[in-house]
Amino acid sequence: MGMSVALAGDARQAAVKLAEEQALVRNSQAGDRLAFEELVRRYDREVLRLAMNLVHRSEDARDIYQESFLRVYRNLHRFRFECSFYTWLYRIVTNVALDHLRRRTSRREDQAPGTAGDGETEPGTRDFFDRQPEQRASPEQQLLGQELGQHIAGALDRLSPRERMVFELKHYQGLKLRAIGDMLGTSEETVKNSLFRATRKLRARLEAIR
Amino acid sequence: MREENNPILPQRCMEFAERLELMAIEELDREGCAQVEAHAANCAECARMLSSYREFDRFLAGAEREEPDAAFLASCRAGLEDALDREEEKGLLRRWAEAVMPGQWLTPHPAFSAALLVAIGISIGTLVPRVMLHYGLGTTQETTQGTGGGLSSSGARGGSGITVANSAGAASESDWRTADVTGINWVSTGDNTPPRVEVQLKALRPLVVAGTVSNGNVEQVLLNILRNNQRYDPDVRLDAVELLRPRDKEADVRQALCQTVRTDRNAAVRLKALEALSGSDAQNDVRDTLLAALVGDSNPGVRIEAINTLRTMAENGQMESDPGTMAVLRERMQKDPSTYIRLQSAAAIRDLGPREKY
Repeated sequence: MGMSVALAGDARQAAVKLAEEQALVRNSQAGDRLAFEELVRRYDREVLRLAMNLVHRSEDARDIYQESFLRVYRNLHRFRFECSFYTWLYRIVTNVALDHLRRRTSRREDQAPGTAGDGETEPGTRDFFDRQPEQRASPEQQLLGQELGQHIAGALDRLSPRERMVFELKHYQGLKLRAIGDMLGTSEETVKNSLFRATRKLRARLEAIR
Repeated sequence: MREENNPILPQRCMEFAERLELMAIEELDREGCAQVEAHAANCAECARMLSSYREFDRFLAGAEREEPDAAFLASCRAGLEDALDREEEKGLLRRWAEAVMPGQWLTPHPAFSAALLVAIGISIGTLVPRVMLHYGLGTTQETTQGTGGGLSSSGARGGSGITVANSAGAASESDWRTADVTGINWVSTGDNTPPRVEVQLKALRPLVVAGTVSNGNVEQVLLNILRNNQRYDPDVRLDAVELLRPRDKEADVRQALCQTVRTDRNAAVRLKALEALSGSDAQNDVRDTLLAALVGDSNPGVRIEAINTLRTMAENGQMESDPGTMAVLRERMQKDPSTYIRLQSAAAIRDLGPREKY
């Protein structure tokens, strides 16, 4: 009884939130800048987190963040409420991030070995890990988490941009395969195959440190 | 594929391979989970695989994740606000440009747009030629031509001055071929100099060819009129014959006149052409044309002119008596419905006969 009341309350809250969001989108479409900024504030932390974990560089993450929301702003009049605003927004963010990853991959291929992808010397990465100590219970755990994070980041860097994106959205953003397919404009089956392929590669590369 | 992914799974477990992975990432429905769990309870290998997948997930979850701090997020928001300000400024300019551009306000009203475009097209199609005609003919560009070849505004033959004037400058070959002659004006100077001729042509562009008949362009236009006589009015054809008559010694002119006698639909034009040929050299083609007119022309006046010309030529010794000619004359002497022609045919036979003896 108590659980069903709680579920009904959640549903009601979700409905209110959805209605608010739709009103914000409509006002933004009508040119209300404040409404658009409110929409940005609802989602921008998640967008920035996704960007940071995909590119591991503050400046690149900032570029993805800004380019994504600018595209949203320019194309908001085309949004027809055929999907949730969240899905539509993430479709744009993943496209921008994929473009960025692909450009970076091609740049890296053009550069001499050893001049790129050195995550430990990148200021964004270093800044992030420097910011974390107060959140850790013990220095050992902190060190372990840092090392593990670096290993995983290195292994993720060697995936293809699409595999990496799928892995990030599934494992760290907690999205369902179907939702990821919607965002990337592909089928659930394709997403599943990409994810399994990425997982196998990671498992093989991280086997030694597990 | 799955076998390659899970080489250590027994063959009987292959159907569970994918479901094991899906279950580990919580993508398997409740019924599927129950089936996998039931299988894993009796299959040590699958239970181990499932455990391995879940362990790997926990391993990944244990890694440090980058989390945007408040300062960085605020910095990004500030940057975005600046970018949005710039975008709004550009947007204002874009909206203004879109409001001005006709494509933007035509698009939402296709029927209105189509009607407007048709109206604009009709207006342009009707007004522009009038304006061009008005100003084009009013300010005709006149070019004095020198010697040269070819049928073009710059291709006058002959040494005398020709004025080729048209509203659009040079005339093309197709202009000359397809032009209709709307009128021929000429002014005789009274002395021995040829008359000054002005041929008005209606081509894609209005065209006026002016000069004396001795001028190549004028002569070619006149010859074209006779060669393509079905395209022009009889008045124009008569004028062309009249103007070409002084030049009947030229082979081109003589052939055109012969063709006119044989093919022109109008008896007056044929008659005029016969008169023109009467002064020309008695070439075989002229003789054959005269005989053809005498035999075949339906108009008695033309036949009379033909027999008169033949007689004149016979009297002047300009014509040889050959079996063909004599046969025609004899045939006309016996059969022509006109008494005058029969008599003149007999006279022509007489004129030619004695020479036949010698």
